[in-house]
Amino acid sequence: MTVEEIRVASDRPARARRASGAAAAPRTSRMTTKRHRAFYMFTAPWLVGFVLLTAFPMGYALWLSFTNFDAVSPHWHFVGLENYREALSDPLTRQSLGRTLLFTLISVPMTMIGGLILAVLVNRPLRARGLFRTLLYLPAVVPPVGTALTFKLVFDTNAGAANGVLDAFGMNAVTWLADPYARYVILMSVLWALGNTMIISLAGLQDIPRELQEASRIDGASAWRSFRSITLPLLSPVLLFQGVTGVIGALQTFMPLLLAADSSPAGTTSVPQDNYMYMINVFAQYFAYGRFGYASALLWILFAVIIAFTALIFKATSGAVFYNVDPEAKK
Amino acid sequence: MHARSLAPMDRRRFLGLSAGALGAAAVSGCALSVANGAGRDPVTVMASDGDFPPEMVQQAAEELDIRIDLVKYDPTRLTAMLASGQPPDLVRGLGALDTPYLVARDVAEDLDPYFAGSSILKADDLDPVNDLWRFDGQRQGAGPRYGMAKDFSQDSMFWYNRALFEQAGVDDYPPDDEPLTYEEWLDLGKRVVQQDGGRTTVYGMSCNGLSPVGNLMAITAAAGGSLFSEDLGRVDFSTPEARQALSWYLEYVQARVGPSLIDPDPNVWDGPTYQANRMAMSGNGYWFGGMVGGSSPEIATASRLAPAPVFAGKPRVSTCQAGTGFWMPRKAPHKDTAWRLFEWYMGEGPAQGRASGGWGIPTLKSLRSLMPGEQPFQEQSLRVQNAELEYFSVLSFTPYVRSTALDAVFNQVMPAAMRGDMSLDAAIGRLNDDMNHQMDLGKELVP
Repeated sequence: MTVEEIRVASDRPARARRASGAAAAPRTSRMTTKRHRAFYMFTAPWLVGFVLLTAFPMGYALWLSFTNFDAVSPHWHFVGLENYREALSDPLTRQSLGRTLLFTLISVPMTMIGGLILAVLVNRPLRARGLFRTLLYLPAVVPPVGTALTFKLVFDTNAGAANGVLDAFGMNAVTWLADPYARYVILMSVLWALGNTMIISLAGLQDIPRELQEASRIDGASAWRSFRSITLPLLSPVLLFQGVTGVIGALQTFMPLLLAADSSPAGTTSVPQDNYMYMINVFAQYFAYGRFGYASALLWILFAVIIAFTALIFKATSGAVFYNVDPEAKK
Repeated sequence: MHARSLAPMDRRRFLGLSAGALGAAAVSGCALSVANGAGRDPVTVMASDGDFPPEMVQQAAEELDIRIDLVKYDPTRLTAMLASGQPPDLVRGLGALDTPYLVARDVAEDLDPYFAGSSILKADDLDPVNDLWRFDGQRQGAGPRYGMAKDFSQDSMFWYNRALFEQAGVDDYPPDDEPLTYEEWLDLGKRVVQQDGGRTTVYGMSCNGLSPVGNLMAITAAAGGSLFSEDLGRVDFSTPEARQALSWYLEYVQARVGPSLIDPDPNVWDGPTYQANRMAMSGNGYWFGGMVGGSSPEIATASRLAPAPVFAGKPRVSTCQAGTGFWMPRKAPHKDTAWRLFEWYMGEGPAQGRASGGWGIPTLKSLRSLMPGEQPFQEQSLRVQNAELEYFSVLSFTPYVRSTALDAVFNQVMPAAMRGDMSLDAAIGRLNDDMNHQMDLGKELVP
């Protein structure tokens, strides 16, 4: 078959479509309408949920952020940008944001690197590999409340197991649940859920073609060089995902911080200073201080911070993330 | 043809059966509702778990023909219900701390007309503690009644465990008839505390009250002063009395004899720790006797109640920091039915049950005779408690801010002072500034 014959053959269906085009027009229109209707019907549950449970509450919080509403008094009024102005100058808010950013800077790389190391380890052909994977992932299944309670008991100054161990080595007890040690307990509780990042990294590792690793070995690459030049680039989209979701999650950390406090409105404010992070402050402003307007402004500021961080991460990694897809398909 | 002629029959039969089923469901539903007390409007009550146990709900249905829809007490949910204009009919609250706040914001119903018409809750039978639920716009303890305490205690009194005193080799127990001074109490705490390698195996004492600010109000009152200005519009920790109270509390914390913000008890409150034989003295009032009675027989036998401490040379004052009870929101949908339930709960069967259970002093004087006194600790605590009643007084809380806001400021400021990283003067300055800022914000919301 010549090139010309191939071109004619491939053009035949198109000509046939053009020939029947006029007659098929109404039918196509009906099909399009039907498709649109199907699209909206299938997406409606999500759309309704999004409007009612996300868009409306966000809009309501935005409106509240311009008031001094306390949910009880009928004498509230609009205060314009006052809540935002106060938030930016309030030492409590700035300190809590600073602590949260520091916590994010430490905890996100820690969980990503820790998860990756575990994933690499359990991706090796080990005996009882499945058992190791299960055991390492198991803590991530425990609800955050359960983890907080467990940690509270383990790190109790007077009756906890942690001080029992110190005691066995002849060391003095440590007040784990108060400053300055509470921050380490929080980091330990973050490490406790390392299985989450491990399982995602493991999925990414298993997606990397084995031939590439084998080829590099045959070419004489060391294990580290192979990991650095093949595994990491191919895993970069997964790591980016973990980085973005990790940062968002860390900026919103709340439950693990209630280690030695009760979850009552005033109880949340008794967390150690080092653990008094942004969402604790937001919760306290809503329910302990009763400042719904101010707390809503704090939430919108956090929203802006999250957007900014996410954009920053995408910008900073734009050249470093390797997408193993056809560039045309990306369009 | 045959099938088509049968089709209408099927539909009729289907409709008939459906109607029958619906009717049967309606009838059985009605029967069920009647059994649950649907004769009157259902009353929505926001309460804690132990306030309305299932048998009491059933009892209300049978005796009053009132169905109770219980909503678990949750301040965040209450806020949402108030904001949406659909509040419960009755709400749990702390008379000592909530009343001025609720009244100033026009949220609580004036119950005076209801009390006036009641043959169960008579004015001359009401214990003075119920004045915590009164507010006239200027001070607490006067003006209309907006709620009523279900039971109460004088919360600066303390329980002690004699067995733990013996364990520590201390045999001079707090006297029944004379209060210790705060200094003596702390000294005793230092003597009975048991520590081992930095661990406190037995707390010497606990003095945290029901809330940080409520606790300091009580200690300041014992020092002869008040935390709030005359018009309740300012907090002032720099007065000699407030300063004395704060300074004593800091000394208590720094002595490491009891739980505090910098040495938290994971149990969050004293009950489980006391029951575990790990607290020699617990700053809780008479109501704690219910908890003591539920402990092991050894702990119950060894437990005794002591009068509220005083400051040397100052008049004896013994306040109630809570006055836990119920109030009725102004927008409650079923006020009359709710009031009938309120009357029953505060003055009839449930009140009698609480009085005889030892969980607090009854708030009707006529029920005092029901307080338990069979066991030695009950007999002793009743005697000490009865002697303490004459020193009761009502303290006024500010209407401008909710108590949790001031507690939050305290929790933020004080840890540094407790660790010794901030001087007492600096802490006082911060407390005054931050609390008064909150009160200024609150003033904008009060007409």
